[in-house]
Amino acid sequence: MADLQIDHVTKTFGDTQVLKGISLDIADGEFVSLVGPSGCGKSTLLRIIAGLEGQTSGAIRIRGQDVSGIRAADRNLSMVFQSYALYPHLTVAENISVPLKMRQLSAAQRLPVIGPFMPGARGRNAEIAAAVKHAAQTLEIDRLLDRKPGQLSGGQRQRVALGRALVREPAAFLLDEPLSNLDAKLRVQTRTEIAELHRRLGATFVYVTHDQVEAMTMSSRIAVMMGGEILQCDAPDEVYNNPLDIRVAEFIGSPKINILPVEASNGALRFGDVVLPTVAPKALKGPIRIGLRPEALRLAAQDAVLTGQVVHVENLGSEIFAQISLTGYDGRVTMRAAPAQRGSLRIRANIGLAFEGHAALLFDHNGKRVFNPQVAAAQSEVA
Amino acid sequence: MTRDLWKHLILILGALVVIAPFYMMVSYSFKSPGEIDRGEGGFFGRQEMMVDERCVKLRDPDREDVAAAAPRFPTQTDSQIRDALVAEAVADCQMRPIVFNYSKAFTEAPLLRYLLNGVIVTASIFLIQIVVALPAAYALAKLRFLGREAVFSLVLFCLLIPVHAIALPLYIMLAKVGLTNTYAALVVPWTISVFGIFLMRQFFMTVPDDLIDAARMDGMGEFAIVWRVMLPTAIPALLAFAIFSVVAHWNDYFWPRIVVTGNRDLFTPPLGLRAFKGDGDGSFFGPMMATATVIVTPLIVAFLVAQRRFIEGITLSGMK
Amino acid sequence: MAIAEPHTPVIVSAETAQRRTAWWLTAPALGLMVLILLVPVVIAGLLSFTDYSLGNDTFNWVGAKNYDRLFSRSTYEKMFVATFIYVVTVVPVSVGLGLGAALLINSMGRIGDIYKTIYFLPVMATLLAMAIAWEFMLHPSIGMVNRTLEMSCGTILEIIPFLKNGCADRFPLWLGDKDYAIWVICFIGVWQGFGFNMVLYLAGLTGVHRELYHAAEMDGAKSGWERFRLVTWPALGPTTVFVVTISCIRAFQVFDTIEAFWPQGGGPNKSTYVMMFAIFEKGVQQNLIGIGSAITVLFLIFVMFLTLIQRWLVERKVHY
Repeated sequence: MADLQIDHVTKTFGDTQVLKGISLDIADGEFVSLVGPSGCGKSTLLRIIAGLEGQTSGAIRIRGQDVSGIRAADRNLSMVFQSYALYPHLTVAENISVPLKMRQLSAAQRLPVIGPFMPGARGRNAEIAAAVKHAAQTLEIDRLLDRKPGQLSGGQRQRVALGRALVREPAAFLLDEPLSNLDAKLRVQTRTEIAELHRRLGATFVYVTHDQVEAMTMSSRIAVMMGGEILQCDAPDEVYNNPLDIRVAEFIGSPKINILPVEASNGALRFGDVVLPTVAPKALKGPIRIGLRPEALRLAAQDAVLTGQVVHVENLGSEIFAQISLTGYDGRVTMRAAPAQRGSLRIRANIGLAFEGHAALLFDHNGKRVFNPQVAAAQSEVA
Repeated sequence: MTRDLWKHLILILGALVVIAPFYMMVSYSFKSPGEIDRGEGGFFGRQEMMVDERCVKLRDPDREDVAAAAPRFPTQTDSQIRDALVAEAVADCQMRPIVFNYSKAFTEAPLLRYLLNGVIVTASIFLIQIVVALPAAYALAKLRFLGREAVFSLVLFCLLIPVHAIALPLYIMLAKVGLTNTYAALVVPWTISVFGIFLMRQFFMTVPDDLIDAARMDGMGEFAIVWRVMLPTAIPALLAFAIFSVVAHWNDYFWPRIVVTGNRDLFTPPLGLRAFKGDGDGSFFGPMMATATVIVTPLIVAFLVAQRRFIEGITLSGMK
Repeated sequence: MAIAEPHTPVIVSAETAQRRTAWWLTAPALGLMVLILLVPVVIAGLLSFTDYSLGNDTFNWVGAKNYDRLFSRSTYEKMFVATFIYVVTVVPVSVGLGLGAALLINSMGRIGDIYKTIYFLPVMATLLAMAIAWEFMLHPSIGMVNRTLEMSCGTILEIIPFLKNGCADRFPLWLGDKDYAIWVICFIGVWQGFGFNMVLYLAGLTGVHRELYHAAEMDGAKSGWERFRLVTWPALGPTTVFVVTISCIRAFQVFDTIEAFWPQGGGPNKSTYVMMFAIFEKGVQQNLIGIGSAITVLFLIFVMFLTLIQRWLVERKVHY
């Protein structure tokens, strides 16, 4: 187990800069997700950590030691790949044992046929077999040990890939979209299992995904990457409730956050003709944007701030998401409602919406977060 | 139904023409010279005892033989003894035509040696082709390096050159370094199979990069990856290529004909058969056809056993 | 994910090491490719302008004299004619028969596999051995062919002029007759090669969607011929381009049969004096390296030209 330090890492492919100076400290035993849309550089970063690719500048440190120039195999990291990358010609047991055999057996002991008869090979092989058995039991795949990858289902292959990673005790586990090839149901189940595995092992995990739900549900911290940069790295609820960048706010959360253009002047915010209940810092002027999570909106009659017409309703059973076309505005907003409110959310019904002033997230014209005084007040109250 | 009948009729007619020489080859290898000359005896011949004239001639008794045999025939004259000895020889030299043909095939010429040479040559060619082509194919498919495109273009260009076509300059080069009439001469021109490189590269392109990265994480070097990861995953393609290569070189006649002259110890099966034909008088049809049958049979049997793999292998070039 | 291509090498150990290993992995293949395929082409090109012979220390540059000879002497005219006749006969016939057999077999389900197996046998068999078998088949007096023809004498079949003449006088000598020799060679070429083409076509046919035939039928293509024109033939375009090219290259390389039948001289009146045999005879047997090299160069030009046409056709989207 070890801590990882990513220090101003850049990567350039030809003329394109894929990573623009990434810095990130990962503590021992942490589960950090790198999340972002495809092409954001998260996989490249993971491959640089693994040593499968070299950085253009900057450094990777494991336990404080710079590993630049050290081969992937010698960094003592385990990796689980998106396509699982199982050796098709080896059985499950053999697949899991490869990392141990490569490290613990000498070249002579690895020779086919005569290898097992080399001095010392027997004891080592027994140890390896025990380790494989143990890993397989942890993942409940010990019945599959004699099969070939071709005879396994997707979920089983995924477990074998995990088994190969955890059969030894690496400094950290790197996981590259390990759930993306599973069907939806299995994905949810495996998600839980990986999170539990992390808790049990207490090891450092670096997890790459484009799926924000995976990141939210499993991680200690989420690093949201876009355009080769880390926009924010925080605990999941912090990233959700306090996004520092409008792109983070839009990426995290499903359904997506509602973004409305507003006009700020003298501490007040105006949406069209309506004055919003949100207080803004006095210095803020001109067109800015606010973000409202679907659950921040509620139905209101008298004290309605916004009015509109229901255009689409999604009933998920436990909750309802309604899309409302606002009066005097081109876009729609999504609100979350309890199933009990279904009656008032009929299609084409005219409704009023309200929200608490401190629930609105303010973003300046650059998309950077502006903290409004109400949030500060609300937070100090809680404290 | 009648239409299907027509189809079968046409196809059967074709099949008869295709099979005719095989039928004749095997049939002649069973028959006695007389039956071949007269065209009788059906497929198997009558398998009547026949006398091997050469064997009799070899045992033709001279004066010493007669003298030596005198005690066994105490009361007889020399010419009677002589007749008796000839009769014995004839009796000993009697055999079934099928036995005659096949035993002659193996004794008149070192057929076993030819077959062994065929095995040695085809096996070495295939092994060296793999040892050379596999690493190159892996590098071309999966490694990034300056000049990769140039190397691959060269491979594509070399695909245009049939080795048989440049046999003459190759022969001159081998003659200059004194390698004609050696195993090396039979093998060397085929050690590089550009087609093999091309084929394996196409196959390796379909292997996911993750697998190679996983192997690197597991601690394998690039050489280990070629032999421990890529080779086993490529077994089906390799098997097809093996069939392609072995069939081509077992049957090859042109190249061995050029570089092996005279030295029978180096003859491959087709060369051996050719020499047999050159030596034999016309009456040696039976043994010659037996030789031909022996040479053709291994591949045909292998083909009948593993038809789909063979057709896949031989038509490999169709994958281009 | 992320960005995979294009990569320029970066001065970091992972990439540098990979690049170095890549060169180590390709080096043997690269070296052999140059030595065995490229150098001989250059040598052939150079020697074709000399009067070099093996064993001589020196040689003279003779300019284009060798090429002049190729285009002026009647021997070489016969060579071109024989090669041309062979290629122009064998390619269309073996491609046509291959396609026909594939269509028939493809239309009849599992039972067709038997024919497929039979038709593929000659592809597997050692051509030299089969050539000798054919030689016996075509033996003027005891050969199966003329015996079969003789059976027709005295029957109604005698109205066919060929049989009538044969019965009245004698049946052809086949291999000994300059009017027949080249055609016999062509016939054996077709016999040996059409199964290969058939298998390629069968593979191509599995790629034709069943639904296309139903659509064609709905669109009013009633006869089988119309459906063939509308669906099958266009779909087989890429296969045909490939089959024709490979048949051409193989046809250009015909040698085994000719050397087996006529070890010297290239058949009656040089009627089967094809290019490969000429290279062998001039270059290897008579040690006239200059002229042999000139034929080699012409040969390479023909073959490369054909392959380039094929690649051009393929790139021009015969794919659908």
